[in-house]
Amino acid sequence: MPDKPRSVDPLLPLKPKVLHILLSVADGPRHGYSIMQEVAERTDGQVRLWPAALYGLLRELEQIDLIVESDKRPAADEDDERRRYFALTPLGKRVLDAEVRRLEAIVNHARSSRALRKAYRA
Amino acid sequence: MTGDRFLRWCARSYAQLLWVLRVRDSRERHAIREDGERLLEAAHTQGPLTLATTWLALVWDLVFVGARHDVAQALRALVRAPGVTVGVSLLLGLGVAATATLFAFVDAVLLRPLPYAEPDRLVMVWESNVSQDRIREGPAPGNVVDWVDRNDAFDAITASMRVSATLRGRDGGTPIAGAHVTRGFFDVYRRQPHLGRTFDAGEFEGAASITSRQASSGEPVIVLSHRLWRTLGADPQIVGQTVSVEGRDWRVIGVMPADFVPDAAAFWAPWDMRVSYRGPRFPHGLPRDARFLRVVGRLKAGMSLEGAQARMQTLARGLESEHPDTNAGWSIRLFPLADEIARTSRLELLLVFAAMFCLLLLVCANVASLAIARGVARAREMAIRLALGASGGRLTRQLIAECVLSAIVTTVIAIVLTAWWVDAALSIAPADIPRLHEVAVNLRVVSFAAVLALLVTAVGNAVPTFRAGRTPIAGALKDGVALSAGASGRLRAGLVVAEIATAVMLLVGAGLLVRTFAELRRVDVGFGTSHLLVLRITPDAARYRTGAQTTEYYRRVLTSLREAPAVESVAAVTALPMSTIGSDFARPYWPEHARPEGKALSEASIRMATPGYFGTLGLPVIAGREFTDRDDADAPRVVIVNQKLARSAWGAGNPIGRNLILDYQRGPYPYEVVGVVRDARHDGPRSEPVPEIFIPHAQNPYLVMNVIARTAVDPAAVAQTARAHALRADPDQPVHSLTTMEQLLGDAVQLDRFAMLLITLFAVGGLITAAGGVYALLAYTVVQRRREIALRMALGASPRRVAKSIVMESLALAAAGGTIGIAGAAAGSRFARTLLFGVAPQDPVTLVAAVAVLLLVVVAASWLPARRAALIDPGHAMRI
Repeated sequence: MPDKPRSVDPLLPLKPKVLHILLSVADGPRHGYSIMQEVAERTDGQVRLWPAALYGLLRELEQIDLIVESDKRPAADEDDERRRYFALTPLGKRVLDAEVRRLEAIVNHARSSRALRKAYRA
Repeated sequence: MTGDRFLRWCARSYAQLLWVLRVRDSRERHAIREDGERLLEAAHTQGPLTLATTWLALVWDLVFVGARHDVAQALRALVRAPGVTVGVSLLLGLGVAATATLFAFVDAVLLRPLPYAEPDRLVMVWESNVSQDRIREGPAPGNVVDWVDRNDAFDAITASMRVSATLRGRDGGTPIAGAHVTRGFFDVYRRQPHLGRTFDAGEFEGAASITSRQASSGEPVIVLSHRLWRTLGADPQIVGQTVSVEGRDWRVIGVMPADFVPDAAAFWAPWDMRVSYRGPRFPHGLPRDARFLRVVGRLKAGMSLEGAQARMQTLARGLESEHPDTNAGWSIRLFPLADEIARTSRLELLLVFAAMFCLLLLVCANVASLAIARGVARAREMAIRLALGASGGRLTRQLIAECVLSAIVTTVIAIVLTAWWVDAALSIAPADIPRLHEVAVNLRVVSFAAVLALLVTAVGNAVPTFRAGRTPIAGALKDGVALSAGASGRLRAGLVVAEIATAVMLLVGAGLLVRTFAELRRVDVGFGTSHLLVLRITPDAARYRTGAQTTEYYRRVLTSLREAPAVESVAAVTALPMSTIGSDFARPYWPEHARPEGKALSEASIRMATPGYFGTLGLPVIAGREFTDRDDADAPRVVIVNQKLARSAWGAGNPIGRNLILDYQRGPYPYEVVGVVRDARHDGPRSEPVPEIFIPHAQNPYLVMNVIARTAVDPAAVAQTARAHALRADPDQPVHSLTTMEQLLGDAVQLDRFAMLLITLFAVGGLITAAGGVYALLAYTVVQRRREIALRMALGASPRRVAKSIVMESLALAAAGGTIGIAGAAAGSRFARTLLFGVAPQDPVTLVAAVAVLLLVVVAASWLPARRAALIDPGHAMRI
């Protein structure tokens, strides 16, 4: 089964919350609370993930193999050993790349449109 | 602290909900709980409002958004299956739970007997002077001693006095409030200690007061409250050990049970009043004109309150003729202790409870209305079954079974929610509600919830259930138009009128309380309340034995505080407006050479103040000057009086430079008036100014003082720095409490705020319910009368006119309900007169506003049905 790479297209576009979760674990494993904080910080509090919704999504993402529970942990002293860390799987990384490229294309298109160009300069 | 309790409650309820909802994976449940708690803690640092919204968001997230596989599915299945029944049960359960929660308070505070043996025999004893309109004055020591010796109505009488004290432990001093009590205290309350014993007669003999500068003759002993004992580590071997209070060691001889809390004291110490009032300062022995004690007595077995009242009256008359100077005009009043304890919050609690009950009735009416409508809709089903041979009794039985099912669901919901809400309500209830610690979810509260749940379900379903057996078959089978619709319509209209009336009453009540609260906030208490930090300090009596030491201590405290950043000025006073500590007492006075003969002397409140007090408080000096550092112990005796006193003593004349005779400490003695200050409402916005006399603190150094600091910035921001500065004067003397004048002002009206918020909440709930009732009735009417409306439109009535007729119908309901409601509110608001302030019970503005709001809401509720009526297509409707 590992031989044939799965297509990522059916998974796109990603729901905004899913995109944010994948982005937050892109640079390394994180635990749930830190995902919540990172997303809230990055979006200035515009996107807020609450625990039950977050863990529901994490479970779904784990089931479709975009993320995986990670054994890698930060230094032991700042860690609670019951905490679960989540990391991006290779598939997750590809899905994220594809989604970012898709969004990039949309943004580039918007930039080249005449009506919007002014707004970008302003 | 309330805030922390609220946080704990939030975290616990979240965890409970999570548990109830059984998220499948236990690790996931654990993670959700931990993260939820972390979010709550973070929100807690930003204040209770953020905490509350975060909690709501978390619960919403838990129930409706996340964990959808387990929870939402279960919920949805539950809601879909018996549909309306569960919805109705939920609604009723919410109403019953809210009512039962309030019942828990009413029960603990007003209904349940006090936790002492034969509590009916306990009475509170006051001195009362009708001509001066002083009904409840704490008795004077001299009189109490005579009552104890001479009365034949009581088994025991005891006097007590609350004191602020400092408990010393390994980790420095902790402020606590205790009480010293005279002989007979434990005979009056008759409560067995949890550990050890209570005081014996010998231990009262010669016992000085806790805060006294002189030492007791015997070994000092103390009885601890359960709470203080737990704070000290709940050592079962504590009896026989010593604790250090007010710089002295006290041997613990007993610990009282948890529900024994007279005077809300942390400890009790014996007190022989004779020791406190001897020596050159008290040439006449125990004073009879300083009224400040709290006196409770246990009636002799079989003695009625009236009988005791009559006997004490005779005793008072005897004392009146023996001591005319001090006792003329003073009699004795007895009140049952339970009533006295509940007095401060009885009306508020009853009002809130009544309002909640009204709301519950509203919900009930709506449910009944809905049940009737469903009954009509099901008439055809019933008719068919009757026609097929089912007996009327059998149909009724089936409906009763549905009813019982719904009652069970309602009861379960009600009990679970009550258990949950009582905790929540306790964490936000104003702390000055008496007997709050007795509020709990007990058998009485649960039974109340269960009975009420059964009752409301029965009421809500009674009509359709008993009608089902008598469905007229022929009529019901005809084209689905039930004949019973007409009668049901009238019944439902009656219910809606009742709902509107109740909603109006709630609205008027809420309006009156909101206006009261606004008036209370607007009232000018006489001084500047913003930017004032209040530090309450009670130095150890054993450490500061002389007046000079005390003066020096406060001089150091004030100097040190003055150096704190953002502090503009500081001063201290014995009794600060709205502060709960410090000696507050009244003494007789008269203008020199004008002692009134043959009538009781007027009394003024005496306060000791340091230089700069009035400037710091923002209380304007109208004439003369403030105290200065030159008004010291060796200087001539001077006083500053308030306007009220100046007017009563000298009328329009100039009081500056005149002498005022004050009967205080050294007996009648002249003091020169050097200033007049504006009147202030000392006991909060509701109180009226009383005559006041201010004495320089250096000329009469008191130990317990309220230190105030006027700050350039928000006083809460500099509180901790100020505390540190105050501690520099003597690191062993803790600051007992640190608050702001605005906080004290808020505390003074917190019960008003609590009642206002709850009633407003109920009024909004009532309005929504009534609007729902109006809407449901009209929407149903439109459906029922579709053919008639279509016919009228076919005959030429415009849609506009049809819509208007529907709106007019709603207005007729509103008019009927509004009239009844206003009449009810006008009659009912008189009972709540004492709760109001600055607004009349029949305040026209409030009445008009309530009616206006109601009309708006009713018209809005009728808009949708009216529109639907206007959109009826005559051709289509006629064909069906």
